[in-house]
Amino acid sequence: MRKLLASIVKELQLLAHDKVGLLLLYLMPVVLVFIITVVQDSAFKLVNDNQLELLVTNADKGNLGDSLVGMLKRSGNFLIDEKNDLSEKKLQEEGLSGGKLASIYIPENFSEAIENNTGTITKLILTEFGVSADSASSSVRKETSLNIYFDPILQENFQYTLVTNLQTIVAGLENKVMLEKLFGEMGYDEIPEHIASRMTGEQTPVLAKPASLDGKQKLTPNSTQHNVPAWSIFAMFFMVVSLGGNLVKERLSGSFVRLMTIPPGFSFTLVSKMVVYLGVAVSQLFLLFCIGYLIFPYMGLPQLQLPDAVLQLVVVSVLSGMAAVSYAVLIGTYARSQEQANGFGAVSIVIFAAIGGIWVPTFVMPDYMQTVALFSPLHWCLEGYYVLFLKNGDWNALTSSIIFLSLFNVVCQILTFVKLKIQNYL
Amino acid sequence: MQPIIEIRSLVKQYPKSTIPAVSDVSFTVLKGEKFGIFGPNGAGKTTLISMMCGILQPLSGEVIYHVDGSALDPRSALRHIGYVPQDFAFYPELTARQNLVYFGKMYGIPNPELNKRMDNLLEKLGLSHVKDKKIMTFSGGMKRRINLAIGILNEPKILFLDEPTVGVDVQSKHAIIQLLEELNQNGTSILYTSHHLKEAEDFCDRIALIDKGRIIGLGTLNSLTEQHQVENLEELLIRLTGKTMRD
Repeated sequence: MRKLLASIVKELQLLAHDKVGLLLLYLMPVVLVFIITVVQDSAFKLVNDNQLELLVTNADKGNLGDSLVGMLKRSGNFLIDEKNDLSEKKLQEEGLSGGKLASIYIPENFSEAIENNTGTITKLILTEFGVSADSASSSVRKETSLNIYFDPILQENFQYTLVTNLQTIVAGLENKVMLEKLFGEMGYDEIPEHIASRMTGEQTPVLAKPASLDGKQKLTPNSTQHNVPAWSIFAMFFMVVSLGGNLVKERLSGSFVRLMTIPPGFSFTLVSKMVVYLGVAVSQLFLLFCIGYLIFPYMGLPQLQLPDAVLQLVVVSVLSGMAAVSYAVLIGTYARSQEQANGFGAVSIVIFAAIGGIWVPTFVMPDYMQTVALFSPLHWCLEGYYVLFLKNGDWNALTSSIIFLSLFNVVCQILTFVKLKIQNYL
Repeated sequence: MQPIIEIRSLVKQYPKSTIPAVSDVSFTVLKGEKFGIFGPNGAGKTTLISMMCGILQPLSGEVIYHVDGSALDPRSALRHIGYVPQDFAFYPELTARQNLVYFGKMYGIPNPELNKRMDNLLEKLGLSHVKDKKIMTFSGGMKRRINLAIGILNEPKILFLDEPTVGVDVQSKHAIIQLLEELNQNGTSILYTSHHLKEAEDFCDRIALIDKGRIIGLGTLNSLTEQHQVENLEELLIRLTGKTMRD
């Protein structure tokens, strides 16, 4: 035990001396988590919280174009810059040069087409009910469209959200016009107030709520809840550069030959390195979780909400940290030079992260990539943290993550042991 | 004198090599002896010493240590062995004291004894004033001295020295040789290899000459020079191994 302790102290002294390594281990993850969270949070707010700036040209000769612009303004989702003297081509140019992410052109025949088309449908309904004898079957549908021009840099999901939003508003406008026509055909000047108010005030609300495994819905999915655990895992596994390289350096140094002639041999050095770097991995997670919990709110970012299952969080963190350490030791054992360990180690972690869902969730990947993801240790670390940080899950929900990470650790350790045994290092 | 190391028919061949690095080597090192192993580059000296220290496994043959009445294999005899390799075998990022404390504890030396030995060695090797400085700041001679200090910290019964004085000034060399003589007088057997042949002539009691993995000469310097009618160790080596340069 005294020898192991001496070896651990030596590793800590070496680590404390390696200022660049410490920066890589602690500062890099903080910067990474902060930047990614800020970026994703801004994107989230762009769609959901912020008012999107829209350049609108209303060329409509009727009054429905004005109604549409009014509805857009009242929706609270858009900041409207209305310039009605622009041509459709000029609108695009001005939108791009003025930094507007989207521009809308309401055509000349917008009111005419909606009036005509809703009128036709109204007549068809009344004829069907036998209220009116007029036939609308011969009426021709007038084509019109609301053209939205996007800045090409705007991502597809934002475009889709905006189009859906506008379609809802246009559908509301068309329904309102159709009802006015129905009441008009029935002899009313306008929709009676008590009906109009109920039509607008009693829409069935659609509420978005995160599902949770314990039914408590305590945790809110947001950029922090996803990014802090995800990028902490990535940073933790990136210790392959530090630990893997360190192990190769030790093997190639003169001190290794001396260690081979000291009774505990190399095994104590290896175990002490694993203990120290497991401590580093867990402390990385602790640091990043603390930053998410304590610092993020002061930076305008959502606060990291910690799960109730503290013991499960500790187990998943230690298993994830051990997986990162085992992988780094494996790479450090098989690599023949520091360059090999650093290069292969870093690239393999980037690949594991990509296929493991750190950057893009695995559910959006094709089926075969979802199968490939199962071989990434980062995927199982992330699954474990998703269960805890997003679904508030318990031991049952963590079973697959715990089993895979344990297996991964065992396989890495066995492969390391075999290689070292072959080389007579143990 | 009693034997302390017995080498019996030792053979080592590396996987990708067609010829053995060490071929059927047998000799004995006696207790309290200063034994030198010499030969040209690539002769098999390092492979032989690595097998004797248990770093490499031989293909066949055996190494037996006779310590305190027991016959031990190299792995079991490690706690009685000190090894001072030619390459610096320490952590340059740590101080001299941190290195000595780490290796001393790995040898299992109790703290009070370790402190005593450290102070003694640092004093004898003229390193007391820099004990708390990082070794990376040391001169070549100082590094060579701390390399030796770590290797003899466990007060070994058998000490392996690979080029212990290479690249050092005359003062450091003197301090090192003096300390080695003192260790030897206290009962430590020394196995020594060097390219400083004049130094080796003065230092070694017996020598083994090795080339192409085989022992080509074994005995005292006098007996070998007489046998081959040469003046000194350098001439002896050239007589037995030729003038062709080795890789």
